[in-house]
Amino acid sequence: MTGTAAIEAAALGKRFGRRGGWALRDCAFRLPAGRVCAVVGPNGAGKSTLLALAAGLLAPTEGAISVLGTVPGAARERVAYVAQDKPLYPQLTVAETLRMGADLNTDRWDASVAQRVVADGDLNPKSRIRTLSGGQCTRVALALALAKRPELLLLDEPMADLDPLARHEMMGLLMAQAAEFGTTIVMSSHVVAELEDSCDHLLLIGGGRVRLAGEIDELLAAHVRVSAPAQTALEPHPVVESRTTGRQLSALLRPSTPLDTDWHTSKPSLEELVLSYLRNPEASAIETPETAA
Amino acid sequence: MTTLAHPRPRPQRAVLRLHRPALLGWAVFVIVVCGLLLCVGGPLTDTAVMDPAKIQRYKDWNNYTTSAVLAAPFLIAAWSGATLTSRELENGTAQLAWTQSISPARWLTAKLALPAVLITVGSGLLVGLHHWAWSRGQGRTYAAKQWHNIGTYSANGTTVVALALSGLVAGALLGLLTRSSPASLAGAMCVPALLWGAVTLATPYLWPTVTTVSSLKLYTAGGSGMSVSEGLLTSTGARIADPGCGSDTDKTCRTLYEKLDAVSYFNDYHPYSHYWPLQLTATAIVLAVTAAMTVAAFRLLKRRTGPAPARKAAAV
Repeated sequence: MTGTAAIEAAALGKRFGRRGGWALRDCAFRLPAGRVCAVVGPNGAGKSTLLALAAGLLAPTEGAISVLGTVPGAARERVAYVAQDKPLYPQLTVAETLRMGADLNTDRWDASVAQRVVADGDLNPKSRIRTLSGGQCTRVALALALAKRPELLLLDEPMADLDPLARHEMMGLLMAQAAEFGTTIVMSSHVVAELEDSCDHLLLIGGGRVRLAGEIDELLAAHVRVSAPAQTALEPHPVVESRTTGRQLSALLRPSTPLDTDWHTSKPSLEELVLSYLRNPEASAIETPETAA
Repeated sequence: MTTLAHPRPRPQRAVLRLHRPALLGWAVFVIVVCGLLLCVGGPLTDTAVMDPAKIQRYKDWNNYTTSAVLAAPFLIAAWSGATLTSRELENGTAQLAWTQSISPARWLTAKLALPAVLITVGSGLLVGLHHWAWSRGQGRTYAAKQWHNIGTYSANGTTVVALALSGLVAGALLGLLTRSSPASLAGAMCVPALLWGAVTLATPYLWPTVTTVSSLKLYTAGGSGMSVSEGLLTSTGARIADPGCGSDTDKTCRTLYEKLDAVSYFNDYHPYSHYWPLQLTATAIVLAVTAAMTVAAFRLLKRRTGPAPARKAAAV
């Protein structure tokens, strides 16, 4: 374990209401600083809850979460967060929204960054927020977030309402931010393909628990897609998923020893890996050494 | 350590910008009602002497302005309940504010403090002018209301200011609780209503009364002011109900009083000199409830969003 963790969670759980179900339970992971991390999982898996906990918007019901080496509430200045529905004050203009950002932040606020992000989207500073499209709102919300010059940027489904072109632009903006300032970016999505190219770290959440956590390369390298004749015994390798079609068995394994050379092996794609874990809730969770909390 | 090197967030400016329409509305309301109160206390009082039409005009406008002053806490509660915290939680802008560099507690402080100052100043002005307009009428026109008339009593004193603040805090608290604009609007308007009702019912008992004992020769018990209890005293000193017969100079009444063994009237009442002790006690009660609601709102926010970090030395 080296350096400060951007986010570190231990036995983290959040339940809404006294009798409500657990949105998140027994979450333990460590996200090293400087990564671009994808938080992936199906709808209702607990991604938004996790990000809101990290942003200091919710108090954990049990366990603890630390952000940039401190409690989330103490890291507000250094953390930016963009919620899923990009809430903004509809009655304000774009320029007023940015002025509000300047008023609510410390001297870390960089007005020129905010203006550049807004100007790149051809937004009229005098337009009211309520007249903007979803994509334009995302841009304003992102301008507010980036002008904070955050060390940690939390984005909840940032690309959901963007067209492919805007998505590409926005991703470029974020990657430039990460490259230039070493900002740790955490973004959630239920579309894996959306994040595959830009992220180097993965946090897979399913049923309120962490299923996979680690560097994407390491996770992919730790798994093998195998084709073998049916009835082949796959032991002692832990099996994530196996399927038999006719005389053919195909499985996703986490090889613990060198594999049988008779088997056809291939590297799984990130999407395959994620889907295999989500389809098989009983497959044991895996964390690469660096991320074990 | 100087704070100039690190300009701190200025949430007050953001609050002003967000609630500009409400601020303008409040300013217009205060100015208009103040103008009307100046009219009522000035020319309308001076002319309400002989001409029945002018006396009626004085009475009408006096009632309108009293109602307007008493409506202020409800208008504030409605605004606070509908927009201050509820709408922000409903559409997520509260979370937007909390993820800038200010804590939720600081956000709520800014949301409450600035309106509280403007409400205190505005409603204080209304109450002050109402009191002035009322006192101008005393001895000038018979149409002027007595100090203990319910509406006049309330609109003349500081309780209205406290009720307005309770409306503000109730709106913020219920907004945090319900996270729904209509629900918290409805709930918040009930709070000043309930408090006003409770305080009005309790008013006679908020300060020790003065008792006068007066002769049965009078038609009713003596002592003028806010009467709490009146009746007849018997020769043994027992208090009995006044049958309402009138003066014992009338023969039938004298017989009746003799039969009842009544020797005099008694009246437990508050004279005008009790006005401010009563008002200030009621104000203190409403402010105590308001303070409790404020604490509840901050506790609720803290429980939801987690503990606020201790601010560094730079915060001094």
